[in-house]
Amino acid sequence: MDGLIRQFRVAYAATNGEQLAETLSPDVQTHSAKLRAIWGRGDLRSTTADLNFLFHQDQARLSIRLSKEETSGWYAIYTAYWKAIGEILAAEGLRHDAQSSWAKVYDAWKDLTLLTVRGYTNHEFENWTIPCLYVTGRYLRLYAMRADAERALNNDNTAVDELQDDFDPQAEENKCLEDCARHLNRIFQICASDRAPLEESRKWGVYYAVNLLFKTYFKLNSESLSKNVLRVISAGRSDIPPIDKFPKSQQTTFKYYEGVLAFLEENYVEAEKHLEMAWLMCHKNAQRNLELILTYLIPCRLLTTHTLPSAQLLGPFPRLQKLFMPLAHAIKKSDLRAFDIALRDGEDEFIKRRVYLTLERGRDIVLRNLLRKVFIAGGFEPAKDGAAPVRRTRIPITEFTAAVQISSGEAIDSDEVECLMANMIYKNLMKGYIAHERGTVVLSKSGAFPGTKQDRRRYTYVIVISRAINITTSLSGSLAEVLVPNDYKKYDGWCMGGISHG
Amino acid sequence: MSWAVPSAPGIQPAPYYSQPISTAYTPVSIRQGFGQAYQSQHQYPYNAPANPLQPSSTMSPPSDQQQQQKFDWPQSVRNYVQRTFQASNEIHGVGREEKESRLKEIIRSEQEKGTMFTTNWDEMPLPQQLIQKERQQALMAAVDPVTTQSKPPSFATNSKKRKSSDFSEAEQTNGSTVPWRSTKAHSLEDRVSKPANDKRSLMDGPLTGKSKFHKNVEKRQRRGDGGYQSSYRSPSPPPSSGPIVGLNTNLEKKYLRLTAAPKPDDVRPENVLHHTLDLLKRKWRKENNYNYICDQFKSLRQDLTVQHIRSEFTVSVYEIHARIALEKGDLGEYNQCQTQLRALYKAGIKGNPIEFKAYRILYFIHTANRTALNDAIADLTTAEKGELPVKHALNVRSALALGNYHKFFQLYLDVPNMGAYLMDMFIKRERLAALANMCKAFKPELKLRYVTEELAFESDAEAAQFIIDYDQELLQEREDHIVFLTGKAGQIFENARAQAFSRVDLKGQI
Repeated sequence: MDGLIRQFRVAYAATNGEQLAETLSPDVQTHSAKLRAIWGRGDLRSTTADLNFLFHQDQARLSIRLSKEETSGWYAIYTAYWKAIGEILAAEGLRHDAQSSWAKVYDAWKDLTLLTVRGYTNHEFENWTIPCLYVTGRYLRLYAMRADAERALNNDNTAVDELQDDFDPQAEENKCLEDCARHLNRIFQICASDRAPLEESRKWGVYYAVNLLFKTYFKLNSESLSKNVLRVISAGRSDIPPIDKFPKSQQTTFKYYEGVLAFLEENYVEAEKHLEMAWLMCHKNAQRNLELILTYLIPCRLLTTHTLPSAQLLGPFPRLQKLFMPLAHAIKKSDLRAFDIALRDGEDEFIKRRVYLTLERGRDIVLRNLLRKVFIAGGFEPAKDGAAPVRRTRIPITEFTAAVQISSGEAIDSDEVECLMANMIYKNLMKGYIAHERGTVVLSKSGAFPGTKQDRRRYTYVIVISRAINITTSLSGSLAEVLVPNDYKKYDGWCMGGISHG
Repeated sequence: MSWAVPSAPGIQPAPYYSQPISTAYTPVSIRQGFGQAYQSQHQYPYNAPANPLQPSSTMSPPSDQQQQQKFDWPQSVRNYVQRTFQASNEIHGVGREEKESRLKEIIRSEQEKGTMFTTNWDEMPLPQQLIQKERQQALMAAVDPVTTQSKPPSFATNSKKRKSSDFSEAEQTNGSTVPWRSTKAHSLEDRVSKPANDKRSLMDGPLTGKSKFHKNVEKRQRRGDGGYQSSYRSPSPPPSSGPIVGLNTNLEKKYLRLTAAPKPDDVRPENVLHHTLDLLKRKWRKENNYNYICDQFKSLRQDLTVQHIRSEFTVSVYEIHARIALEKGDLGEYNQCQTQLRALYKAGIKGNPIEFKAYRILYFIHTANRTALNDAIADLTTAEKGELPVKHALNVRSALALGNYHKFFQLYLDVPNMGAYLMDMFIKRERLAALANMCKAFKPELKLRYVTEELAFESDAEAAQFIIDYDQELLQEREDHIVFLTGKAGQIFENARAQAFSRVDLKGQI
């Protein structure tokens, strides 16, 4: 206890928030000996006596000035911390005299969290001490999840609310985490609602708290609550400092969640913007985070700009490679069957990551590429005297039907093909109209397939929009249009989905 | 069935005395009751589970010794005693003595009534459960004395009903066991325990005051500091949190939203609920009165929930209610049932998961809830994905996702189970989407017949009406057929489509 409080004094004298928060760390793995020393013999009376002495009688040695209010706040916090340590050691099996459960740890840690929050509402804690809120909030979430897992293991269904007509499965499964979310929200409120001048405001804790909340809400599968938080932030944007003034790690996490939320709302343009920012800011060694960002950024780009990731981009991410490369190949080769197989093979993982419903729409691109192949294979109308040859733009439905059947490997009737083509036209992936009675499609003479390169000569080109990408630094390189002969190997960065005919 | 009468905690009709009259000394036993309650908490950890059969032999009151000789305890009773002392059935706060004396009381009263062999011991609540329940009730009574005062009469009628049937049975089967004694004991107990019950609630007066006082203190504290103290100290819900066991035998019950913990007299036990379900099924078939049925099902579900009954029976209740709600287009109720069913299936309880998982997918297509749809797919196993209803629902989903209205309307024509009721909910909206699509892609016109077939209208007339509802100028008569002038539709269907989809977003879960 003595050592702990000495550490507290040092941190306090230096007004070092991180150091101060360190005194409240319950990390058993790294500080096992220290925690055991703090717990001592587990005697509450001697602990309170110690704390009493250290905080009240021994003021002279403090060399820092704590107000009476602050003193009582910290006194309560360290008492609660001491109790929580006792539970944690017991739960980890490091105490011989007692056993505990994560539920008890959660409760003990919750007490500590509440007392820390109270420090700001009632005990005049200053804003540089905010990291203490972080550390309590962070571990509260961890303990909540462990407590929930523990309960699931014991099959203990005591969480039933007697007043409900039906039991609430969600509440049952995540009872502690839901409770935790409420406390984290409280931490967020405490930070966001501070009206002190910006230099001494707790508003600097907002993004840390928000990120913690997002994490929790995502785990609870309640994006709607995340959106509420987002709304609060954008409403108070005027007095919350601009996000680029916050630590980069917090910016990155926030942008990631903001992007994923937009993604889940199918607002892919918005999502792409946020995810790209997160991608650019993310530390280059944070492989896992980079991978997470790409998991959503790749489907986004597929839909917004019809671009695919290059092998080079995915090089450092074998898992993503396995997931996305088969799809990318199928799209490039306009192979419906390969696409369907790739989608089915990755289905479980895609569903888990919630990108399935987005990726599925990539089939439109495959189909567009296929129809374009038919168009190009159709060749040219007989040239009128002297004039440049013109592409054949009146194409029988049967030609498309044959192509779709070959590509998908399944029988399909012409009505369904017409329907699919109608969709292409409706979605502006193809320009023209269907003359149903005559069984032909009339394609636009200028740019029948918007977004793809029109070929002007007899032999074909591969059209690639290559985005030079420096993987670790920048996504938005120069947008260069390159005409490359039929060779897929040179692709680099994001390349256009629209593709060649051999 | 004296065990069914919840007398207040602490009143143990002193089982060691053969004269039932001694139970009249209620004030004393109340004191004892409290003392025991506290003691028991101390003793709790040291109590090793006793040899289960021992209590049953010490149990028999000394005065009944001659009886004991001819009394071979039935196995079910022995099991019951055993369960009472099983460590896993331990309820915190209920001490060993309390349990023991209550157990003796129960067995003796059964013996006296001669129902020892007829009682279903397997379903008999354990003594500790009874004690716990009574405590809860006492607590409720303390909070709301008015209801307690009105309670006894309803009780009396209730227990009388049951008793009369029990007795006739007992006399027929087991008349040899001192019938005079049982009747006497009963009438006495009836007379004694009820006033005691009231007194008990009066005695609780000071307790109530205290808790109210506490509440006020808490309220003050809450006002003072941002809610910290209240959540810090607020006691965990009353010590007894085990499920209640219902005592109500009415088959029908009006649904009322609970505002306080349920009382056992208002709750029907599972065996009664089984009959209720049968009755409701019959009534639904005969009368088809949805308001009545829905109300009854809600109270049925409530009774299941408060008693923590989660079995195949529970599943069937939710499944039947879900089907009825579907049929009547009551998506709110349907969704509640579906949410429960999802959890029940997840817990491994049997039912018709294939059928309802398919509905679930269709439902989220209707509400256009992508996140939930994703979760619904995540819930499926590979085997389930191969089952026809689920496969159908998944195909519907992917057809819509890819704008393949041709396939979608073909799937609409052949829906397994009751999925068509769900698809009906969004068929109009998808027709609008398809028409918007067609109007942009097909020029200059389409035969009406083609529209009828592609969009699965029942007849040309129906298709024509659908189109005319939006614009009367779009149909034109030719020599032998009618054409739909897609080229002239402009944004009509596009706008109608946008409107139809935005409405779903607002409605959400209804």
